[in-house]
Amino acid sequence: MPVAVQDDLFTPDVIANPYDYYGRLRHEDPVHWNQSYELWLITRHDDLVWLTRHHELFSSAVFRNDPRPAYPPIAESDLGLYDYVRSYQGDQFIQHDRPEHLEMRRVMHSYFTPKSMEAWRPFVREAVKDLLDEAEKKGSMDVMRDLATPLPVLVIAEMMGVPKAERPYIRQLAEKLLYIGRGEYDRMKPLTEGMRGMIDYVSPLVDKRIVDPGDDFISVLARGEKQGVFSRHQVLVNTSLLLLAGHETTINLLCNGTLAFTRHPEQWEALKEDPAGRAKQATEECLRYDSPVISIQRIATEDVEMRGKVLRKDDRVRWFISAANRDPDAFPNPDTFDIFRHPNQHVAFGSGTHHCLGATLARVEGQEVFKALAERFPNLRTQTDDLEYQPSITFRSLKALPVTLH
Amino acid sequence: MARKLKVWVDHQACVGNAMCESIAAKTFRLNDDRQSEVVDPAANTEAEILEAAENCPVSAIFVEDAETGERLFP
Repeated sequence: MPVAVQDDLFTPDVIANPYDYYGRLRHEDPVHWNQSYELWLITRHDDLVWLTRHHELFSSAVFRNDPRPAYPPIAESDLGLYDYVRSYQGDQFIQHDRPEHLEMRRVMHSYFTPKSMEAWRPFVREAVKDLLDEAEKKGSMDVMRDLATPLPVLVIAEMMGVPKAERPYIRQLAEKLLYIGRGEYDRMKPLTEGMRGMIDYVSPLVDKRIVDPGDDFISVLARGEKQGVFSRHQVLVNTSLLLLAGHETTINLLCNGTLAFTRHPEQWEALKEDPAGRAKQATEECLRYDSPVISIQRIATEDVEMRGKVLRKDDRVRWFISAANRDPDAFPNPDTFDIFRHPNQHVAFGSGTHHCLGATLARVEGQEVFKALAERFPNLRTQTDDLEYQPSITFRSLKALPVTLH
Repeated sequence: MARKLKVWVDHQACVGNAMCESIAAKTFRLNDDRQSEVVDPAANTEAEILEAAENCPVSAIFVEDAETGERLFP
């Protein structure tokens, strides 16, 4: 039976609190057809796991394979810009299916193994210390501006060999690239500016690594071109992608996690009792409770039946991490923030062949931040409850998170 | 002769990334739930199996010397 729910995913109340809206869908109509955007919404944990592990049924080549116009609608005069967005996005390795996806991922995969990311922990710890030293002098900070943004930008820029002075520029471009998951009618202009800006910025860096490779991550991608796996445009686009993906989602983990602790004092107390021992499990619960990524899209490659409904070939299918991670059939008391939760099989990083390449790095950064905050600022408090989120159905991003430290 | 290995996958952790299968295809295979299973711990070389274990993004693969019980990974 069709369920009457409002169809606009970008209304202020859904953006402010996605859990009620998608939670209701998960309960009443877990495979839901959204007429406005001609889009299936998948909200149950088991369905999400099944879908992401059947990559042959649900293509990740969303931009290349979707013949329909952008959603929400964009200005007629921006259709040319949308074509550029499609060709840019289409070259990202995450927008490929097997066998190409596997070939591309293998170029990068060994750089991001749990063991090699663990080697970055001392660097991350030192960077957290420096940022918190600065904040301590002031007695307060905007977690977004002063910690959650500079830390992952610093780490990914270091991995990529991006000079220090140029890192703020990277962040500026990244902010434009974030329009990808948003609803503004005129979003194509800033989005394409960000894309072109990134290509222009990374182009000379890549030229240099082709001739003179080092042990940085751009050299890893440049090697992919020499092996014939990537075209030059693909190296440029994927360098930009990793610069963006390498920090944007982590920003959300750090902000949303910090906010969860300030709103659940008993959990904050529990973390403070043993920051080093509990940071790992606590980070997993932050990833589940208020996940950095809200939803991701696929395109059905053939007719597929899910819960009695038929998803037709070429239909848009969007799976909601934010809903699956609050599924009562997968997590007892799903709306409770509980850092001792075990097991905690959340899907914050997706699942299957496209499981997040940078998952371990994000985990290391989360663990080091939550541990350091608990050790150094036991009286951490948010300054206001009046918090705003970016109008995105892809990222769960606070605009700012002002806190006092003492 | 190569030593015998005991290899297993923790299914609470495995996310079906399938990198193990692509590195050591004779040892690891995805089951109906699309999680990795060990079909034959002697089918690939020890180096290949260890490479597969190291490349598991969620460290779900465990490798031991079957005779001595020595942990080889992680």
